[in-house]
Amino acid sequence: MEDQKMKLDKAIACFKAIGLTPKVGSFQDRLVIQKTIYLLQQKGIKMGFEYGLHVRGPYSPSLTKEIFENVKKVEKLETGEKLTSAEGKIVEEFNELFSDLTPSMLEIAATYSYFTMELHEDPITAQKNVKRIKSFYSAPKIATGVSKAKEFLFQPTKKELDELKEETKAWREASLKTLKE
Amino acid sequence: MRRMNQNFLSLLEESTTLNGSIITLTRLQLLISLAIIEQESITYREFKSALQPITDGALYANLNALIEMRYIKKEPIKLEEKELDSYHITPEGKAELERVKSWLKKIIENGGSKNETR
Repeated sequence: MEDQKMKLDKAIACFKAIGLTPKVGSFQDRLVIQKTIYLLQQKGIKMGFEYGLHVRGPYSPSLTKEIFENVKKVEKLETGEKLTSAEGKIVEEFNELFSDLTPSMLEIAATYSYFTMELHEDPITAQKNVKRIKSFYSAPKIATGVSKAKEFLFQPTKKELDELKEETKAWREASLKTLKE
Repeated sequence: MRRMNQNFLSLLEESTTLNGSIITLTRLQLLISLAIIEQESITYREFKSALQPITDGALYANLNALIEMRYIKKEPIKLEEKELDSYHITPEGKAELERVKSWLKKIIENGGSKNETR
């Protein structure tokens, strides 16, 4: 019970830091909560909400249960937990990428993340599967959501950055040449 | 060795207490999807996408049949300024699904395999 309280308190601390003031009765706000908490957990904020892949994408029944059982607490953002500086940094990164908390973007990013991180699918297969289960979203919207997920969750290694530099070397040199001319 | 249920007739009799109208693949898929997410609801377009290649006609007819049986409820919701239909399971729907699941479980546990029935 105490453990459940701590999990929800941490989630509420995240809402506060994000600037999210959810209305539990709103379908859209509950969707934003589900996907936001999923992405933050994937990035390293430990809250312990278990997610599975449902018709609605990554979804945690226990998070929904907690939210419905603590409507006042959630809506008034009452929490005894604070974010550590590392967690605060994660929320900052989240805010930079998902500042307007658009539900479709969060939904696509969370679903892509589930396919890659939980089911260990390669990026192409994961994107195909997002398109399959979120077929009601346009291709550009899916591409944007996937790109945001990649930017948020996958930090390129030094090796990858070096490879990218090498790959784009010819283009960069050509651009510099054009600028000089 | 697991023994076959001696009173298979009782399993058949029990089935008459079930609502046979929900034992179709689509209706069970809809009810199970809704039961798993409990208090939350699922939009029409999410069902359409998840149950591909279901047609609009089939999906609409099956959802309406479950509404008429009072196993699910439809409610309008707003998402990104769009008006959508969403569905959630009722306590009656949950109870009926549990009855079907429990009966199927008994069949699996006690119905016997091909070898055992020889």
